[in-house]
Amino acid sequence: MPTTATADNDGHPRRKGRPRVSETAAPSLVDILNLVRTEQATTRQEIERHSELGRAVVADRLGTLGELGLVDESELGTATGGRAPRLVRFAADRGRILVATLDQTAIGVGVSDLAGSLLMEHHEASELTQPVSALAERLVTLFRWILERQAEPQLYGISISVPGAVPDGGEALFQRNTPGMLPGWESFPLVETLIAAFDAPVWLRSSVETMTMGELHAGAGGGRSTMLFVKVGKRIGAGLASDGTLFRGAQGAVGLIGSVPVTVGDRTGTLEAMAGSDHIAYDGKIAAEHGASPILADHVRRGGEVTALEVAQAAQMGDAAAIDILAQSGRLIGQVVATLANMLNPALIVLSGSIAQTNDILLAAAREAIYGACHPLVSRDLQIIRSQMGSSSGLVGAAIVATESLFAPPMLRDWIMAGRPQAHPLFRQVKDEIAQRKTIAGNIVRPPDV
Amino acid sequence: MAITGLGPHGERASAPERVLLLPEDMTRARASGFRVAIVLHTLVSDWAKQQVSGIVGMLGNCGVAVIDVVDCAFTPEVQIEALERLIGEAPDAIISLPVANSKVVAAHARVAAAGIKLVLLDNVPTGLLPGKDYISLVSADNFGLGKIAAEGLSPHLPDGAEVGVLGYDADFFATNEREIAFVKWMQVNRPDVSLRVQRFPALSEVAKTTRNLAQAHPALAGLFVVWDTPAMTAAEVLETIGRRISIATVDLGREAAIGLAASEPLVAIAAQQPFRQGETAASIVVTALLGRLAPAWVALPGLAVTARNVVECFQTVWRMPAPREVLRKLSLVGPAR
Repeated sequence: MPTTATADNDGHPRRKGRPRVSETAAPSLVDILNLVRTEQATTRQEIERHSELGRAVVADRLGTLGELGLVDESELGTATGGRAPRLVRFAADRGRILVATLDQTAIGVGVSDLAGSLLMEHHEASELTQPVSALAERLVTLFRWILERQAEPQLYGISISVPGAVPDGGEALFQRNTPGMLPGWESFPLVETLIAAFDAPVWLRSSVETMTMGELHAGAGGGRSTMLFVKVGKRIGAGLASDGTLFRGAQGAVGLIGSVPVTVGDRTGTLEAMAGSDHIAYDGKIAAEHGASPILADHVRRGGEVTALEVAQAAQMGDAAAIDILAQSGRLIGQVVATLANMLNPALIVLSGSIAQTNDILLAAAREAIYGACHPLVSRDLQIIRSQMGSSSGLVGAAIVATESLFAPPMLRDWIMAGRPQAHPLFRQVKDEIAQRKTIAGNIVRPPDV
Repeated sequence: MAITGLGPHGERASAPERVLLLPEDMTRARASGFRVAIVLHTLVSDWAKQQVSGIVGMLGNCGVAVIDVVDCAFTPEVQIEALERLIGEAPDAIISLPVANSKVVAAHARVAAAGIKLVLLDNVPTGLLPGKDYISLVSADNFGLGKIAAEGLSPHLPDGAEVGVLGYDADFFATNEREIAFVKWMQVNRPDVSLRVQRFPALSEVAKTTRNLAQAHPALAGLFVVWDTPAMTAAEVLETIGRRISIATVDLGREAAIGLAASEPLVAIAAQQPFRQGETAASIVVTALLGRLAPAWVALPGLAVTARNVVECFQTVWRMPAPREVLRKLSLVGPAR
């Protein structure tokens, strides 16, 4: 049960005497809203039973939540003898979350409701190597375009998936500043820029973390609580969902399996270097040059470039050399993932990334290696499948990260009385700090590094 | 021409050649006696007619029976009802162009849940996933179409020009992509140009929206409209109020081709290839029915059309000779007697 709301965390002194009504009401509001939001309770009777609150208190709190626009009681349920009960629904349409995925070669943006359901998405090619300021500018432009298309609902938060671990320990309610994530990014205040432009709290998570959350909630993970997610691309990373939540480790750096050393014949290197998409492309080029792969050789003759995707497509068309390249990648990935599976005993392993998704061969080889190396108890009911969500899993997962954080009791209790997260004292403080820094440093929010 | 956009879930495009059918595939398909239904947004437009003939022709080559072709008249309710009815008919596959986003998600999801292969054209309702809810999306490279239109309009814009963008105020993948791409190209390549965006909620509102846009910005030198039918309405409105504005749009409809041949007011068109798109959709259906993996997104490149190549592009796109008016405007035939 959450404690009574105080402003202790925000540096404001606790007042003496009787607490304000808003302070005593907040914990039960938080409880009731979360019961409704997670659909554990859908009628007043169920809320009373789960929350152990009296009928009058439940009626009063639902009245408040209704006024705040966070619950809706307009629908009738099915009668089980007597009058049909009024259904209590979470008003997911009350607000919007802007979401984005920043990838090595693409940028994706979208918008979700407060239940984390994606309402719209757009992806475009974009090089991560361009200056962060240019990337941020494009992100702001696309976010503005999406917001223009939304009728009334207010913005409740922004959640971004970035291509590297976000070192914050996972304890912050939301991002107070921009952490050092990738080389070249430390100089640009991405979080501050977004807060200044959109006046909403910002969350950052690694792409593997958001994809894991997305896959768990909207993809193959449905109904399972323990899932291992493996993304195969230029980099190879893994995410773990345990008990239905994301496992973030001590520093938010979970699943960096790409740096595990592996050996093939007399060659040893990291898993990323030996099985990632760069390696697949490299081996594909060699196979084309030496005539081992007629399909890739033909592709090169026509002026095409051999990327990992071409190798995957050639393998799908039955090219023996391409099949060998992908099967070896799959085997190496499978060996490393099998070790994780023996340790963690997941119900499901999902392989993602364009190579795994467009091709059966890598998946088949990984499966063989995993099943072969797993303890019989681990592999008995273990399912290994490929993701069907593509980059959408990152967007959906980012939305889930934001909604889970927004409605987590420690965060929710300090904004619920106002109905909007912008009223959270810590968020107001962060905004003030940004404004102050902007005044002091003049153009610190947009340094001229383009 | 390379595909510049990404698919609805960030997929990289696959070329139509990826689903090329070999003679042995066709023989196997013929022996299987498959049944397929087609559900389109409309059957009235030239684009839809070409698409249908592409699909039906290719399916015919493979011995696949087309059991129904439904016209949804741009209405989600009609589409939902049609899909429900067709699920009852249990065809092997349905080819559908979703007419809306959230309204038609559930109806499309039920198709795959009923074990019927679903191939989508042009639009994926948010939340549907390839491999799970549908086999593939076939569409034009809509991002590329927006870019082609911007490239075509740019030479007609003086320095510092104001350019209007008439977008479609519906959550539709194809038109969203075109608008985003047009605006992005202009911002990157013509930073001197100021863009003024307005969106129409329905075709009946195009005239009003155009008038509002033109009146609010008396100095407009160019206009981009996300497809040709509203572009022709906008052109009429602008002519009525005496404004000469260069227009670029998408789709080489008959009227648009005539306007383009005169280089006034249309100066550039990014054309889709509906016949080829239809053939591709049919090939995907057969590929999937034969149990092979089909790519999540197959995209067809757009064609950049100006007055100079309008005749051959019209023939490529529509598989028929360009209209007499086009040939006459370009002096390829004598004046009308």
